[in-house]
Amino acid sequence: MDKIVTLAHGAGGKQTSELINRIFKAHFSNPDLTADDAAVLPVEAGNIAFTTDGFIVSPYEFPGGNIGKLSICGTVNDLSCMGAKPLYLSCAFVIEEGFPMEKLEQIAVSMEKTAKEAGVRIVAGDTKVAGKGQVDNIFITTTGIGHIMEGVNTSGKLAQPGDAVIVTGDIGRHGCTILLSRDEFGIDAEITSDCAPLWGITEKMFETTKEIHVIRDATRGGVGTVLYEIAEQSNVGIRLDTEKIPVAGEVSGVCGMLGLEPLYLACEGRLVVFVPKEIAPAVIEALHGSPYSKNAAIIGEVISDMPGKVVMKTAIGSQTLLPQPGGELLPRIC
Amino acid sequence: MCVGISARVVSINEDTAVIDVSGAKRKISAALIEDLEPGDYVMVHAGIAIAKITESDASETDHIMEAL
Amino acid sequence: MENRKVSPKEIIESYNGRHLRIMEVCGTHTHEIFRLGIRKIVPESIELISGPGCPVCVTPVGYIDEAVMLSLDIGAVICTFGDLIRVPGTEMSLAVARSKGAVIKTVYSPIDAVEYAQENPDKKVVFLAVGFETTAPAACLAIKKAKEAGLTNFTILGANKTMPNAYLALKDSADAFLYPGHVNAIAGTAVCEQLVKEGVSGVVTGFTASELLTALAVVIQLTKKGKPFLVNCYPRVVKPEGNVPAQKLMNEVMEPCDAEWRGLGIIKGSGLKLRTAYSDFDARLRFNLPVITGKSNPECCCGNVLQGKCRPSDCKLFGTGCTPQHPVGACMVSNEGSCSAYYQYGGNFNG
Repeated sequence: MDKIVTLAHGAGGKQTSELINRIFKAHFSNPDLTADDAAVLPVEAGNIAFTTDGFIVSPYEFPGGNIGKLSICGTVNDLSCMGAKPLYLSCAFVIEEGFPMEKLEQIAVSMEKTAKEAGVRIVAGDTKVAGKGQVDNIFITTTGIGHIMEGVNTSGKLAQPGDAVIVTGDIGRHGCTILLSRDEFGIDAEITSDCAPLWGITEKMFETTKEIHVIRDATRGGVGTVLYEIAEQSNVGIRLDTEKIPVAGEVSGVCGMLGLEPLYLACEGRLVVFVPKEIAPAVIEALHGSPYSKNAAIIGEVISDMPGKVVMKTAIGSQTLLPQPGGELLPRIC
Repeated sequence: MCVGISARVVSINEDTAVIDVSGAKRKISAALIEDLEPGDYVMVHAGIAIAKITESDASETDHIMEAL
Repeated sequence: MENRKVSPKEIIESYNGRHLRIMEVCGTHTHEIFRLGIRKIVPESIELISGPGCPVCVTPVGYIDEAVMLSLDIGAVICTFGDLIRVPGTEMSLAVARSKGAVIKTVYSPIDAVEYAQENPDKKVVFLAVGFETTAPAACLAIKKAKEAGLTNFTILGANKTMPNAYLALKDSADAFLYPGHVNAIAGTAVCEQLVKEGVSGVVTGFTASELLTALAVVIQLTKKGKPFLVNCYPRVVKPEGNVPAQKLMNEVMEPCDAEWRGLGIIKGSGLKLRTAYSDFDARLRFNLPVITGKSNPECCCGNVLQGKCRPSDCKLFGTGCTPQHPVGACMVSNEGSCSAYYQYGGNFNG
């Protein structure tokens, strides 16, 4: 096997087959991944959820994961947000000529490991190789299908006054990790990306109650962006209690040094969940049982005034508006 | 980008220091502070320590309100 | 029985005296006052005015034009604090220049810019030196480092300013000032003590919630006494003599000059320029920059906003033609600008 990916590997001939077999099939092996033009899959009664996501994160490897793991988590989590058990994924790779084969294999291994954990099968894929400089290292697009659980109906339009706002863990880790990996500010901190597949904790939440109004994964733009999206879509106000928002000390320190707001730093393994406040404590307890959500917390509530706005209770007990999301702080974050 | 932040001094090497803000560390210039020791707290701005911090803001407030 | 002490917050909330104008002159104070919701607890009779406390905002438009010229025409690598990047110049901002091929690097410290220059001897590196007394020492340290390392590819485009003459220019704009604590941390309190003799009152103010509330409470209590006053409400960082090594350094590398403040015009002795011994590090001299007078949008009210003469929301462009995403003036785009604070925090209460 060559040490680097070459244009020949993307040409469709013998070397392409070699690449697919040695790197992808070797790791993604499951009965639905065949040599045919498409996977043939049974359809269950009910509704399916269908989603796609492109991944161009730079750097492609970072503490806590790599672009491969991210590409599985991102799509699995989008399906989970609809209450859909993730079933099948496809993945399309665009690889830069000269990309190290060893790294490609590590990425494939990560993807399979994550897929297994999420209970999802990679059943279709595609590989293209672009000339040097035509793509930056490696880009991955994953598309996923899931089966929506019965009795479940989540949507950004369904938040209601009286709902509690829950976040499933400490915020801003992924954004912070990428920022530090780019080594632009000379800051050293032990922060790892929160990148994680979240169907497991979603299923646990639904076991506690089907009455979950909104689940959204906080990715680019962080939790703050999600809150503004929901406030607008559901035409409600949201009031946060800043003291209750879980932020790791190191993330807080980096943000303090650089003047950043953790609520607007990307996450890749955090859900924002809206449930009636009476059920919230039970949901939190269920979440605490899982390693990906051990810091889950109720961070605020939905109110009927100030629709479309997110306000915060401040350190002096007063109230202020959370500034609306601006442009993306960090390009190529996921 | 010009925010000032309070930080704990972890180590000193000539006129640079490594500071720690809740676990995030960075090398900064300590050229403008005399008699700095590890464990001291400093106010950092634009990569340099501009002053030593001598007490918490809570006790500072108490002293000021008492003197009023 | 112990007398329960009245807290600063209670003093503020219960104020029912005459109309009081309190001006803060620090961009970080502007934003923190909003972020902590302090404006919401201050009674209507107290007007909190934002003054020219944002160093990016008071820098004239022509400065951005100079930086653009250096990056596009001369091909210099521009190292700058982040919030200068989107400030509009006469024709374009540095962000737009970047899309035309300019190399613009965000740095956390001017010392990072010197290190970059050391690592890239083939590049002409220019650091955009804006900032008041808090930041000027960092630029001076950077220059000294560059000189010690014998660097010939590092210069600064100077726009550092000092506050004292600005306070004098503004003395009729408010009943009392909240002085920017970190400027005093460097410069000491002598200037503010001198101002008391000229009838200008103020308190040296810190940045935490407790410090901001304390400062306001002290202003309220002492204004009642009717005499000009100065209180250092940030003694854990600010000593009366300030940071002497920093002052010595600034004095060694830079000297006062007249400077133009957007909105306030030229304030004598309020700028800092490199001394002759360090003129090799002056980008204007090194690259023979022509004198550039920038032009700003005539509808832009940054000038008046910076003097506290009008509120951001009084500007016709506020929130419509001028937003943080599409700024017309510096006050809307800088992290420390008044307009950006008002816009982001939806504020229009208490001034």
